[in-house]
Amino acid sequence: MITLTEIIGLPLLGAATLMVFKTILPRRTAGIWATLLIGVAFALSVAATVHLAALPAGHRVVTGSLFTWTTGFGPSIAWRFYLDPLAAVWILIITGVGFLIHVYSNGYMGDDPDVGRYFAELNLFIFSMLLLVLAGNLLILLIGWALVGLSSYLLIGFWYERASAVRAAKKALVVNTVGDVGILIGIVLLYQHFGTLSYPGLFSALQHAAPGSAFFTWVAILLYIGAMAKSAQFPLHIWLADAMEGPTPVSALIHAATMVTAGVYFMARLYPLLHLAPGVAAAIAAIGAFTALFAATVAVFQRDIKRALAYSTVSQLGYMFLAVGIGAYAAGVFHFVTHAFFKALLFLAAGSVIHALSGEQDMQKMGGLFRKMPVTAVSFLVATLAISGIPGFAGYFSKEAILGQALLEGHALLWAVGAFTAGLTAFYMFRVFSLTFLGKPRDEKLHQHAHEAPLVMTIPVVILGALCIFGDVLGGWLNSWLGPTFDTYAGGATYAIRSGPVWGTAVAVLLALIGIGAAIVLYVRQGKGAYAGNERGAGVLGLQAWGSDAVWRWAAVVPFQALGDGVRRVNVGFVRALDAVAGEVAAFSDDLRPIETGQIRRYVLAMMMGMVVVLAYFLVRM
Amino acid sequence: MQVFGLVLVPWVGLLGFLFPRAWAKAIALIVSLVDLALFVTLLAHTGPGVNWNWIPELGIHFHLAADGLGLFLVGLSTVLVPAVILASPRAERPAYYFWILVSESAALGVFLAQDLVSFYVFWEVVLIPIFFLLSGWAGENGHATALRWLIMNLFGSFFMLIGVVAVGMIHQTQTGHLTFQLASLAATNFHGAAGPWLFIAFLVAFMIKAPLWPLHGWMPSAYGESPPPVTALISGVLSKLGVFGMLRVLVPLFYPQMRAWEPWLIALAAVGLVYGAVIALRGRDVKMTAAYASLSHMGMISLGIFSLTTAGAVGATFYMVAHGLMAGGLFLLLGWLERGTGSRALSGLSGLNRRLPRLSAWFQLFALAMLGLPGLAGFAGEYMIFQGLIRANVAAAVVAGVVLIVASWYMIRLFQGAMQSTPREEAAAVDLNFGQVGLIGVLAALVVLLGVWPAAITGHVGTLRPSPYHVVALVRQGGSAQ
Repeated sequence: MITLTEIIGLPLLGAATLMVFKTILPRRTAGIWATLLIGVAFALSVAATVHLAALPAGHRVVTGSLFTWTTGFGPSIAWRFYLDPLAAVWILIITGVGFLIHVYSNGYMGDDPDVGRYFAELNLFIFSMLLLVLAGNLLILLIGWALVGLSSYLLIGFWYERASAVRAAKKALVVNTVGDVGILIGIVLLYQHFGTLSYPGLFSALQHAAPGSAFFTWVAILLYIGAMAKSAQFPLHIWLADAMEGPTPVSALIHAATMVTAGVYFMARLYPLLHLAPGVAAAIAAIGAFTALFAATVAVFQRDIKRALAYSTVSQLGYMFLAVGIGAYAAGVFHFVTHAFFKALLFLAAGSVIHALSGEQDMQKMGGLFRKMPVTAVSFLVATLAISGIPGFAGYFSKEAILGQALLEGHALLWAVGAFTAGLTAFYMFRVFSLTFLGKPRDEKLHQHAHEAPLVMTIPVVILGALCIFGDVLGGWLNSWLGPTFDTYAGGATYAIRSGPVWGTAVAVLLALIGIGAAIVLYVRQGKGAYAGNERGAGVLGLQAWGSDAVWRWAAVVPFQALGDGVRRVNVGFVRALDAVAGEVAAFSDDLRPIETGQIRRYVLAMMMGMVVVLAYFLVRM
Repeated sequence: MQVFGLVLVPWVGLLGFLFPRAWAKAIALIVSLVDLALFVTLLAHTGPGVNWNWIPELGIHFHLAADGLGLFLVGLSTVLVPAVILASPRAERPAYYFWILVSESAALGVFLAQDLVSFYVFWEVVLIPIFFLLSGWAGENGHATALRWLIMNLFGSFFMLIGVVAVGMIHQTQTGHLTFQLASLAATNFHGAAGPWLFIAFLVAFMIKAPLWPLHGWMPSAYGESPPPVTALISGVLSKLGVFGMLRVLVPLFYPQMRAWEPWLIALAAVGLVYGAVIALRGRDVKMTAAYASLSHMGMISLGIFSLTTAGAVGATFYMVAHGLMAGGLFLLLGWLERGTGSRALSGLSGLNRRLPRLSAWFQLFALAMLGLPGLAGFAGEYMIFQGLIRANVAAAVVAGVVLIVASWYMIRLFQGAMQSTPREEAAAVDLNFGQVGLIGVLAALVVLLGVWPAAITGHVGTLRPSPYHVVALVRQGGSAQ
């Protein structure tokens, strides 16, 4: 299929051309060229989706293949592409939101000396993400998966002379490699067992398997580790907050709207496998709920606006995994869509604020920006209401879809955690909003120079704001649209969104309102600053994500470093010992040297004596 | 006849001694490019090779032929040697270039040999040029370095010589026919008491040459002290001889022994894999970090071989080629880094990206290839090795998986340590010139091509005149495809 390769190929073309010509291109053209390509890719994605919709419901799959990737040891593995309704949702968001963020970047990064490299890497990311989503077998998915991690690493470390950014980039790459290895071992097991990695082949084979065997449990765990690393699920969440070292549009696109949801896509894609590993599915839901709560408690204590939003992303991803784990696939996908809108908006608006305050990210230095930046502030408020789950906004519908289905499926505890987290979410988001836009300016100097962002930055923000309000209509559409994906194989029976009991919704909304009220009282009425509550005691721990970095440091980093130091020492001793042996041999040969006199008489004498000994031996034996 | 030409042409490099010193590099380059052209003709048409009755009384043949196992290693050598010559200083003595060409000839002979004695002869010839390269060009202690190389490898070679003779004689007692043709020897039964000892004799020789832990004693000084192009040559081409020997000789001849000892062999390779990786993780010297990374990768390749599966063997063959290109390129880059900045210590380098943008970009690419980024050549090899390993030993696959994580850690630490973070302004730094960019660009293009299209090699490894290891592995497993 021509269209699929074109959708994937355009961003690759952009990345390649920009990499080659970045030094000779005029300043503004790099951004325009990159943005244009993503715009065309979006148009093609829409065309492909329309084409897909025109197919009969039972055959809504478009495939394509290029050439053999490898062969020689069994059935060959080819470059295959696969577009179905699930993938279509993702490519629309990747190219659509991606396009808006490209537009925004023209304003945000326009003055950076390395703008060519920035857009090259941003295009590389879009290419990788499309490859991941449109892959037709797990191996191509893994290639896209790792290239997504690569682009993330490159963009986190974009300002490569900043030591903290460099460290964050390394951390992101290594933690993502943990996930890549999980997927690698998982797909190797699947190939060993089924001799294929293509979705249709694999899923058809899974139809005949009985649920609950150890093999499927292990494979599901390994693949879930991959999703965990990419989507920052506890305990592999540690890289995402540090990833905020990258430029803010990157945080919006990669570390909020698209890349981190790859794990959700992956798990939804693998629903026939999760069906065979019900224990793993339950664990995914439980870890998702825990991650949602855990990250929300951390977000409450953050001082840096981007880190607060990052933990909020982790928390929202927890909701999506909760949905996937309980089989509420459409609800999970719906939340991915609305989250892409409101979280991209939050980051872009935060970027406008940071831009206006010449790079300041500490909320202690903000406050009272509503008047100065009204468009940004109103948009931010819309997204904040959406993420808080206030009725009428898109986030409300998708979150309620997840929580309602949790109740319907009988997961009362998961629901309770989710509802409580919803209250926390409303609290910390209004804390961020109040600290940034309301109250009195806490840093007059910065405040004076603040100004509204240029149009190229505000227009994408406003469009996303509109989507936050009207995105709720997508829920019903997704329900029927995703049908062909989840009806094909066993395991998708509960995919569709169903409304839960009214009392559940009421409780969740009430908690959210309490959270909002508490935030307004604390941060507007009482005028508390961003450091209130996180300067001593438990707050310090909360600021540091309850010590998860320290735990990882002592559990993994230090042991490996100690092992390395130990082995190094052993190795030095080993090479020395080898030289010592060689020295002994040399000394021994020096000792033997006097025997070699060069006098034939003595050699002949020695030979004679030897022969006598040998003869004597045989004579005695006879 | 092309195969004989491949081995013979490098000796034309002797001409370098007849002309002025300034011409030595050009002559060597032309000679190596002719060899590369011969490889290209070989790709187009492999032909039957040469099989001459060398010493009829002892059943020894001079038998060279390109099969699926050897062909692409020949390609690796003929691609990498011109790169090594190009990256060498112009003012170098003719002898330097001559020895490089001789080592190419010997390595090609090993890759092409189909007779065990021919194999052994070329195997021994390799020692000589490297001995002289190390002793003449590897710094002040070059002689000691060269002696370490020579003595350790001779130690292995003597065991192998005993093995070669014994293998031929056992074959003769069983069939009444004295021959050293590998294809015939593969049918011999070495089940007797001598079997394990012969196996160990060959194994030790191969492990020393690779080198594999714990027989890597010659490696630190040889990799560390030799000029970068020579390091690239040793790690890119010559380190493959050892692991190649395992596929060429051990698998066809000693399959039962390998099968019986498989867990131990896998454990041995896995220890080396971890050993190299954790040392690289704490490396303080850029070149030695890459050297121990290389040691770790040798463990990875041998894991593929010891898995005794087709996927593992194909993966190991592929990874040998991929690793040669990646490690060769990386050592060349590190050499330019050292020459451009005058430092090799990680503590002395920092934030060079802004002043060395070209070097940095290529360094990043090769670091990513070495750590096994999917989409580049290293990953394809690793994937196939894992595919084999999972069948043989799941625990080893998990250990190898952990090492992949460590690999991304040490390679990024190496790259970032030199190129990123706060720059130091004091020292001068010289970026790549366009010739160097072109040279590394060719290697990089191959690394990308093989990552996107591994089937370019793996599609032929088994089908192109099936090599002994493939046939044997298939037969012994009852024709199973994996």
